[in-house]
Amino acid sequence: MAKTGMERLEGLKSDIFKCIHCKACRFAYSGEPSRKGIGEYSGKQGTVLYEGMVDACPAGIEYGWEAFWNAGKIWIARSILTGDLEFSEEVRDVLMPCITCGMCSAQCENKVRTVDIIESLRAACNEAGVPMIDKHQLVDRLVKELNNPYGGEANERFKWAKDAGLEKFINNKEAKIAYYVGCTASYRQVEVAIATAKLFEQLGINFTLIEDEVCCGSPFFRVGAVETAQTLMKKNMEAFKNVEKIYFSCAGCYRTWTIDYPKWLDEGKIPFETKHAFELISDLIAIPKKKKELPAKIEELKGKLKDKPDKRLERQLKGMEAELERIKDFKGEIKFKPNKELKGKVVTYHDPCHTGRHFGVDFEQELIKQSDNLFLDMRKLNQKLEEWFEKPRTILKKLQENVGIVFKEMYRIKMNSMCCGAGGGVRAGYPDFSLKTASLRCDEANAVGADILTTECPFCWRNLSDANEMYKHGMQVMGVLEMIQKYDLMEIIEKPEV
Amino acid sequence: MSYKKPDDKDLEAMIGIVGKNYATNNAAICASYLAKSVMGLESQIPDIVVRPRYAEEIRKILLYCSDEKIGVSPISAGLSGGFACPLLRPAGVLLDLSRMDRIIEIDEKNRYAIVEPGVTNGQLWSYMETHHPDWAPPIADGAPPAATVMGDAIDRGFSLYTSSVGPQGDNFMCAEIVFPNGDIVRTGSWALPFAKPFYKYGLGPDMWSFLMGSQGAMGVITKAAVKIYPHPEHKTVITWGMSNPYDMQDLTLEVAMQEFGISHNTVMVQGGNYPLVMARWPKDKVPHDYEFFKSMGIPEWWMNWECWAQTKEELDYVVKRINSMAEDFKKNRAKDGAAMKPQELHPKQIASRLRKPNKIAIPYSFWEAGFLFITWYTPWNECAHFAEMYCAAMEKNGFPPVMWIASIERARQAICMPIICFDSTKEEDYIKVQDMNRETTEYGLKQGWLNYRPDPFIHAPLTYSQAAMYWKYLRAFKKLVDPNMIMHPGRLGLP
Repeated sequence: MAKTGMERLEGLKSDIFKCIHCKACRFAYSGEPSRKGIGEYSGKQGTVLYEGMVDACPAGIEYGWEAFWNAGKIWIARSILTGDLEFSEEVRDVLMPCITCGMCSAQCENKVRTVDIIESLRAACNEAGVPMIDKHQLVDRLVKELNNPYGGEANERFKWAKDAGLEKFINNKEAKIAYYVGCTASYRQVEVAIATAKLFEQLGINFTLIEDEVCCGSPFFRVGAVETAQTLMKKNMEAFKNVEKIYFSCAGCYRTWTIDYPKWLDEGKIPFETKHAFELISDLIAIPKKKKELPAKIEELKGKLKDKPDKRLERQLKGMEAELERIKDFKGEIKFKPNKELKGKVVTYHDPCHTGRHFGVDFEQELIKQSDNLFLDMRKLNQKLEEWFEKPRTILKKLQENVGIVFKEMYRIKMNSMCCGAGGGVRAGYPDFSLKTASLRCDEANAVGADILTTECPFCWRNLSDANEMYKHGMQVMGVLEMIQKYDLMEIIEKPEV
Repeated sequence: MSYKKPDDKDLEAMIGIVGKNYATNNAAICASYLAKSVMGLESQIPDIVVRPRYAEEIRKILLYCSDEKIGVSPISAGLSGGFACPLLRPAGVLLDLSRMDRIIEIDEKNRYAIVEPGVTNGQLWSYMETHHPDWAPPIADGAPPAATVMGDAIDRGFSLYTSSVGPQGDNFMCAEIVFPNGDIVRTGSWALPFAKPFYKYGLGPDMWSFLMGSQGAMGVITKAAVKIYPHPEHKTVITWGMSNPYDMQDLTLEVAMQEFGISHNTVMVQGGNYPLVMARWPKDKVPHDYEFFKSMGIPEWWMNWECWAQTKEELDYVVKRINSMAEDFKKNRAKDGAAMKPQELHPKQIASRLRKPNKIAIPYSFWEAGFLFITWYTPWNECAHFAEMYCAAMEKNGFPPVMWIASIERARQAICMPIICFDSTKEEDYIKVQDMNRETTEYGLKQGWLNYRPDPFIHAPLTYSQAAMYWKYLRAFKKLVDPNMIMHPGRLGLP
């Protein structure tokens, strides 16, 4: 990957020139004007009509000027490339409040890689000598000194593990599986770290916490401090070189390792398998079920095909057989225990942008790269997205079935999920705007009567939780795995082999 | 005509009118309003952007700019990927009307909605689905959800009901307009202080029509009443495929010439050729050979009739009648009857075609990097000739021959839109597009065809040079309402 922001921007020139300024990117569900929703709701941040397409670009909603919506920024990028505009503090100040949530990218019919463009613009702006905003300078300095942006001492990174009786996992040399905890769960939302590690322990997974772990660099890739980010990336690559698989509990770290690192490494890939912890828990529910159900479905299809050949059914049969072959050796199964305290509680789920939409957009870009006939191949994308977004929902639906929670979806979900407001350097740089955005999301959870707002990212957790308190939304904010661990819900039917 | 480049004092004056949060000369914000695609390739970065909220603020801005001879370009909020952007330097003040986004009134009995210029298609559609589900606004089909109801109206183009009821401009009843001379004028029945906007041709000659198609060159429309129509449950799409544009043209005309009954049920009648499907994908990631599209069941040419009816019986009758007319045409009058056949649409395909507002017109940048709609009006029975000529020109210049054609007012007119998919990162492609544009314009004008949404440097001068008397009166009217000629000269090249 070209390393300077300007080189990257040049590399994205044809994407930038694809933008026709149609502004569909300002909405969630921009292609679904008649989508049935939950009606109008008046929350702490005003009234929103959750029907059809809904404004969903946080910076655009907050600042209003065209420059703050995505399309405006793409035309700023074009002006930079054509020499009509030069980098300045004015330019920086309209680029930085973007949360890089990627809603715009998900809506774009011309498949413009908006997040890459904005990150490249920020890097180029920085390289052009325009100073970062003060708050970003501060976190940049902190991470350079302490390897985390919170100012925590390096030797306190795993204090939570020691306090929770999980010390034996620190630098566990025998383990080939690592849990990369990340800075937010290490220094702030330790509940998430403890819950994840304890679930691993309960499942009998021999894992390691690597003491030399440093910040993944996500905030620095996002705000354009790419030298800082690359230094951190290199430290992590060295620290984790002896493991084969890494689990994450933070959406941002997971995205950075899985999507960013390969782009910045000369090799173009990382030598580990990466997974979010919720994928493991979800697989332990979904795959055993599938293993049980698939053989009967295959037989039924074969029967139908015996009576009447049908190409579509034949393709379906092939797919099912391949899937059964893929999962046949999978080991492990869990279910959940009933819980009186949780029974009847309305639980909703916030898709973190970094584990949700950013992966969705990455799947799409990968498909575009690989395909030689997108007219046919694009049809595969929806199924892949559906499977991906179903993973956390598999857990929540099982919790509904076994525990008795009432799982209710918010209006904007999956590829159209509204951001929590924390990412892209915005929580650090623009805390008031960041919390207002989180409160908008909390309004949406209130609109479905949620008692508990769950997510799978400690950074989303923090922002949503702060907004929940500050604006008095009256919910509990919790990680899904945190809920499972806190209420001791997991019952192991068969231990996994991972 | 020379304009003043606005300075800090002028910005202070704007801030004095709208407040400090709504006027700026921030270079990044000004650049963000650029748009060189879809509707036009020319635009300049404004010097100041102002976001007024009220007509009175606009009046003060226009009076000030008129005194100072500062150019003003109004944009409603969005227009299918283009704005009425400044074309000349100094670019002057850009009025971003997106804060004027109020849906003021919906009157079901009198069948109109009153909206401000910043109301988007998506906003009005969702609002009406929730609060007035039996009624729908005539939003422009293919215009994206962020395009505004009023922006598309002023273009007079194609919308949800135009095949049945006439050009989009005819769906607008009354308007409130602020002129640069400081007058606020209300047109149609609205000219009377207490009248509802129920009649377009209120007090004598109609002034509203001077604004239609003006692209912001006369004044700023701050409020308009638009007709609303029933939104019945019973809808479908009938599609017939054929091998050539002449069979598409002639069959469509036969159905439309019924005038009553089924012609009114066909709210949107639009068709095109297979490159219209092909060019929605990257050039190097989709087969170009028609045989592939044929194997996918896509005809070389086709026509869609979107039919709306109040009852199932009525809809069934419309479908049966159109299909039987098509069968008769195929058998007795088609050039290539053997190639004509009805297309069996999957319910998902029908649902997708019925969806409004949609993003159907957006992805033509995916082919390379940029595209341009060049839109013409022809008499309906000349649209096949137009298509043949333009497709040949596009192929000659190395562009895919993408053609979309729709019926306006029961095929009295055709709106013909070649979509030029090109690589806008390359200067030579720009030149090629404009050379082709000039060549086809010269040909089109000789046929008596009209360009709509003209290019200011090609269509407007070539057209007005053949209509000098009309031009004289347009200028005279502009001079009357805009004495210092400050309003965006726009694509009409006025002055």
